[in-house]
Amino acid sequence: MSGSDPAEIFRQEAQDLLEQIEQGLLDMSNRPGDRELVDSVFRGLHTLKGSGAMFGFDALAAFTHHCETAFDRVRKGEVAATPALVSAVLAAQDHMRALAEGREAPQSVGDALLADLRLAVEAAGDAGAPEAPTPELTTFIIRFSLPADALVNGTRPLPLLDELRELGECAVRAITDQVPLLEALNPVECHLAWEVVLTTSQPKSAIEDVFIFVIDDMKLEIEVQTPDVVASSPSIDQPQAHPLAANEAAPAEAKAARAGDTLRVPAERLDELMDRVGELVIAQSRLEQVAASSADPHLRAVSEEIERLAGELRDTMMVVRMVPISQLFGRFRRLIHDLARDTGKLIDFSTEGETTELDKTVIERLADPLVHLIRNAADHGLEPSEARLASGKAPTGKITLGARQSGAEVIVTITDDGRGVDRARVRAKAEEAGLVAAGATISDDELLQFIFHPGFSTAQAVTSLSGRGVGMDVVKRTIENLRGSIKMTSRPGEGSQIALRIPLTLAIIDGLLVRVGEARYVIPLPAVEECVELSPEQDLRSTGRSFITLRDQLVPFIRLRELFATGQAREAHQKVVVVSTGEDRVGLVVDQILGDHQTVIKALSGFHADVETFSGATILGDGGVALILDIAHLVAAGQRQDAQLRAAG
Amino acid sequence: MDMSETSQDGAMEVLTFDLRDETFALEAILVREVMDCATETSVPGAAPFVNAVINFRGRVIPLVDLRLAFGLERADNTIDSRIVVIEHPLDGEPTLIGLRADKVHEVTSILRADTEDAPRVGLRWRSDFIRCLARRKGDVIVVPDLDQIFATRGGASGAVVHLS
Amino acid sequence: MASILTVDDSASIRMTIKIALANEGYNVVEAGDGAEGLAKAADGGFSLIITDLNMPVMDGLTMIRNLRAKPGNSGVPILFLTTESDVEIKAQAKAAGATGWLTKPFIPEQLVRVVKKVLAS
Repeated sequence: MSGSDPAEIFRQEAQDLLEQIEQGLLDMSNRPGDRELVDSVFRGLHTLKGSGAMFGFDALAAFTHHCETAFDRVRKGEVAATPALVSAVLAAQDHMRALAEGREAPQSVGDALLADLRLAVEAAGDAGAPEAPTPELTTFIIRFSLPADALVNGTRPLPLLDELRELGECAVRAITDQVPLLEALNPVECHLAWEVVLTTSQPKSAIEDVFIFVIDDMKLEIEVQTPDVVASSPSIDQPQAHPLAANEAAPAEAKAARAGDTLRVPAERLDELMDRVGELVIAQSRLEQVAASSADPHLRAVSEEIERLAGELRDTMMVVRMVPISQLFGRFRRLIHDLARDTGKLIDFSTEGETTELDKTVIERLADPLVHLIRNAADHGLEPSEARLASGKAPTGKITLGARQSGAEVIVTITDDGRGVDRARVRAKAEEAGLVAAGATISDDELLQFIFHPGFSTAQAVTSLSGRGVGMDVVKRTIENLRGSIKMTSRPGEGSQIALRIPLTLAIIDGLLVRVGEARYVIPLPAVEECVELSPEQDLRSTGRSFITLRDQLVPFIRLRELFATGQAREAHQKVVVVSTGEDRVGLVVDQILGDHQTVIKALSGFHADVETFSGATILGDGGVALILDIAHLVAAGQRQDAQLRAAG
Repeated sequence: MDMSETSQDGAMEVLTFDLRDETFALEAILVREVMDCATETSVPGAAPFVNAVINFRGRVIPLVDLRLAFGLERADNTIDSRIVVIEHPLDGEPTLIGLRADKVHEVTSILRADTEDAPRVGLRWRSDFIRCLARRKGDVIVVPDLDQIFATRGGASGAVVHLS
Repeated sequence: MASILTVDDSASIRMTIKIALANEGYNVVEAGDGAEGLAKAADGGFSLIITDLNMPVMDGLTMIRNLRAKPGNSGVPILFLTTESDVEIKAQAKAAGATGWLTKPFIPEQLVRVVKKVLAS
């Protein structure tokens, strides 16, 4: 036996099972008649009960047993899976979870949950059992023979035939052609074959299951009898290719291969690994510097080799840590279900872009903010059904959670088709809080950003669900700590959307190192579209205009030395690095482009968290510090500048 | 008066240092290292109070100029200038912070008996920036309230400049 | 009443098997390793043997081979417990003379089903 803690193994298994059960139950809310879902939930409860019993979690096993029994009745078609029944089992989930994790799970709570469950089952029974679909019957002709040594190795033909009989009506015929004459007969050898005509509602796989222990060594043929086929008495063929046996083996192997392919790794180990890779990248960077200033070609060659390897290692690590966001989205279905119940509203929840991948730690840290934003949308964004109907909308409100990759970022959106943001109220609240002077003109975007100020809440009623609006500023800070940004857009009466932009990697980026004045800065390489020279004529010509013509397109540009107030004279040959966020572009004018640079991102302290131009810092090979430019912010600044100049005419 | 790190006999271990002509003291327990001046990287758009970062043992840490919090003139670095690296909570998170110092003296003890609260009025500095004053050999040593100074980002002069 | 031998170095697994099968009316005898199992089963007398493969003193595969070599156990179904759906292990065990398998962890109902599969009712 292995040395790992069996209780821990069970706990992990219990987590997976509970999640599986929960998902099944939630799906059942939409498709109550779906047999596969019912089976899946039942199997989950059944396994949970059994494993729980096996590993000593008696309270859990006993409790789960009741849920399993209730669900067995659904499975057998005795009661319907009413919403009340599904809710009762869902409520029981939390109790089961507490029992599995060894947390406090009082008997009284459990009893109350079971009482609810019993009521729901009775009510569901009264509602009338659903029509059991008439099973489709198929007739199979099964021919099989066992290897000669089967009996010696404990295989008994009779139990096999019994199992076949359990599947349905059988006509069994033994085939004795191959049995040798008495003198030559070795009684322990098996020379019998059988032909069984079986009529059953079970699929072919159920028949193959019967022979699971011997299928590799035996001959097995399963034919579906169509009305035209005349049942004759064929002889058993000599051993040739047995597609059935082969097919049985292949899926089993494939499944084994898949099972062996995955490995559970504690997240901390991945983090440690990431740190080591980060340090390696820094050290490799130093090596590169030393090699560059050395005349030794061997040193240069080795340095390049190590650079390549470190890059590949880093890329692999990035991929290892990326998980699809579906893992996060799945948790929210339960949340919506509870929110709908608690607010009394009808909510349709859908997701898009579930396969979009994010670094694992980022996903963990997105969970709380997203919960809050969804709560907000359900509580404040969506109107009650009557109000919706009154304004000509469908009574069911929609909340959509989406994710997509754009350039070097992932954009996560929470969209609702509710009442939208009441601008007047936000304005009033902002003036009251002194954030804006009465009568001052501000853009709609700026107005909406006030929502993210601490303590800001325009909610008429503070509900227990979303609280006093203390959440939005915390959400903003959390997103900014991930070096991301948050923005709200809204159309009155139609709905609102909150967009979170999160950079793709948390730790290491490919960057373009540039010099502005005496300082060096890093531009994330995935955001870079191209680099062009700014000739002195172009430079002069564009004074006061702030956009350049690039292949017949006008691109706004920002002179970084002006932005950063270096106070130094302009250099002769400036370069423009054109960067984009996937939608908009801006050209960043720098003094010199120093080259590609793989860098480990260091977060800036709380003192600099509000300096939006920079999203972090990095240590260069020579020990110097380069700040990393926040492209989204600079692009937005470029857009604003552009708009102002156009407005000025 | 809060003397959180006072030992049994009412003494506080501090590191004393000069900012211009004034002497200040920090609890020694906060100090991680006293560095010679390092290459500073300016952070355009940051408040003057903390307008640069440095590389400290492979980490990028902010460089704070307490002189600004106390209305003292800034000056270029001299041969005596040092950076005192401390670990202190910032917005609730333990953070490594570099403090400029014009001259660093020593680690020494201040007795509780030798300290007094800062007067509310009459002092040229914000009284909420001062935890207490200590007397030693006729000199006044200022023990700053780092919590308050950091939370207010050094006071009025610490406002963030928006670049665009 | 049919007798079943369970061979496993884990006391809790042996207990699980014993309880599950006793409920079905079988008489269950226990052994803690391959050598003990071999000793108890050497003269036949069991309708079914359920054994783990990883055990001290004598492992499961060796025990199965030795059992099959003795005339008293010819034709007795032998089930082995395996933790992985490992095709190799199954092939090895079958080659040694095992009849079928059960994957761990299992619930008692699964055990009973497999036992009924190999034992004539």
